[in-house]
Amino acid sequence: MQKSLANNSLGKKLIAPIAILLALGMPLYVRGAEYPLMLACIIQLYVVAVSGLDILFGYCGQISLGHAAFYAIGAYGSAILHNNLGLPILFTMFVAATLAALVGAVLAIPASKLVFHFLSLATVAFGEIVYQFIVHSPGGITKDFNGIFSARLSIFGFEFSTYRLWYYFGLACVIVFLTAKYFLVHSKTGRAFTAIRENSHAANGMGINVRKYKVMAFATSAFYTAFAGAMYIHLVGYVHPDTFLRKQSVLFLTMLLFGGTGSLTGPILGVISVELLIESLRVLQDYQGFVYGILLLIVIVALPGGLFGGFKNVWNLLAGRLGKRRGGAGAC
Amino acid sequence: MFLRLLISGLVLGGIYSLIALGYSLIYKASGLMSFVQGDVMTLGAYLGLTFYRILGLPFVVSLILTVLCAFAFGMLLEKGVIRVLLNKNVLPIYVVLATIAISYIIQNGVQLGWGSITQYFPSVFSKSSVKVLSVSVQPEALLCVGASLVCMVLLHFFMTRTRFGTAMRAAAMDPTAAYSCGINVSMSTGITWGLSAGLAAIAGMLIGPMYGVYALLGSMIGSKGFSGAVIGGYGNMYGAMVGGILLGLAEVFVTGYISSTYKNLIAYILLITFLFLKPTGLFNERAIQDD
Repeated sequence: MQKSLANNSLGKKLIAPIAILLALGMPLYVRGAEYPLMLACIIQLYVVAVSGLDILFGYCGQISLGHAAFYAIGAYGSAILHNNLGLPILFTMFVAATLAALVGAVLAIPASKLVFHFLSLATVAFGEIVYQFIVHSPGGITKDFNGIFSARLSIFGFEFSTYRLWYYFGLACVIVFLTAKYFLVHSKTGRAFTAIRENSHAANGMGINVRKYKVMAFATSAFYTAFAGAMYIHLVGYVHPDTFLRKQSVLFLTMLLFGGTGSLTGPILGVISVELLIESLRVLQDYQGFVYGILLLIVIVALPGGLFGGFKNVWNLLAGRLGKRRGGAGAC
Repeated sequence: MFLRLLISGLVLGGIYSLIALGYSLIYKASGLMSFVQGDVMTLGAYLGLTFYRILGLPFVVSLILTVLCAFAFGMLLEKGVIRVLLNKNVLPIYVVLATIAISYIIQNGVQLGWGSITQYFPSVFSKSSVKVLSVSVQPEALLCVGASLVCMVLLHFFMTRTRFGTAMRAAAMDPTAAYSCGINVSMSTGITWGLSAGLAAIAGMLIGPMYGVYALLGSMIGSKGFSGAVIGGYGNMYGAMVGGILLGLAEVFVTGYISSTYKNLIAYILLITFLFLKPTGLFNERAIQDD
């Protein structure tokens, strides 16, 4: 009974995200639209990355301004394992993500005593250290400033040679990772995360091992983001180290805050809106970064609940009005 | 070799100190972390360049004008953005993100205003080098060391010997108590942000003649400046001065004697080491609360 209920609500919760992602696949039915398809693929991998950050920030309340480092470990890890050792790609993606999870756990052990501002400084430092190691790698294993090439995704000899094919792989990844996230946050661990977010002292008092759960949140989050990094390199085939500057970490956080934290749909909406915004600002050329900064500032100051927090308010207002009108007929 | 490194370490250290001072003052006064200091420094360098090279004003006059502009910018930032966000009671992450958004605006804005190529900042003195104990150094380097030391001393006297500085320290220590003593807390917080921006702008004008002026001039120095602030003890004014100088010396000596490959790594390794092992810094500043 309990189980079927859980499954039922999982189904309900997952309908919205999957519907949105399927809608994104519209170009699949239109021939000759490579660019929107690529954008859809990028959105999918960002959804995985930002969902990972959501586990850490949205559920466990721990800030990170260094998630680009995990993204980098995933991308470079998978590429190097595949290029140098010839291991199959899906396997290298998992190995790289696991490696990032270990790094995340090791970072989190000392970092778990730091709160908010100082945790963000520690993660900034971590991100910079990883970046410096990429551009000055021992033995040039990451090809330093040149960036690294790797093969497109292929699983058991089947090559995902077009964005169209990759799209289905991305969709599968998003479904798997979102389902895993759903079960994680509705488990004992997820409840411990939320307790720590709300009040770590109270959580400690209730017998929750705060440090252990913070480490778990960091490791899980790192796994997600690193997997997304691995997806990225095997989608594009090449990465440049400057993809992994602090800007990228800030972008993840911006996407998360735009869409709303602590939900399955939030990261998806945030990724889509920010990614489409950035893409549409490309027409401004030189003014792109400037306008992006200004828009970001306006959204933060005017709508701190994120774009969708704002929409939600409007929606609630409208729904409230409609509800009142129907109130006479005895609805709800 | 040693003396040359010592001087360039002090130059860099002075710059880091000025940036770290801004972080510490802001943290002390409002409990916030600003990610915009480095870019205010860039802005200061560009403004200084405009006054000094393009308008042809004397260096001291351009320095004063730049500092005034930056001061106004800092106050405006606090009143127009930070205060608005704080009044809305948002999560502190939005304040961090707002400062990052402003840093993007500055980085891209200066490129739109002054072009994307590195701008030449004319030398301040007519001599191209002076001898210090048999080592010839750029006179601007000495100006940088001297001016940053003067700034620190002035700041010390301002904070401890003037009515206004005392009021600012009181407002930072306990806003409610200070308010009930008749101190305008909101004004003093604004002035703290303005002061921090002014210090960053001075750093920008001092470093301009040596490094050239470009849009990302301050972004790296700004994030390394955090290291200086943490080494000294985040929120401690004297800690920031000492931490910044130590950071500059460490960076230059490691680069000079060991290897320059990991030049940009030293600051971050120091930052993370201090955060993990001695988060209260050298001056044992108890700014880092447990929650």
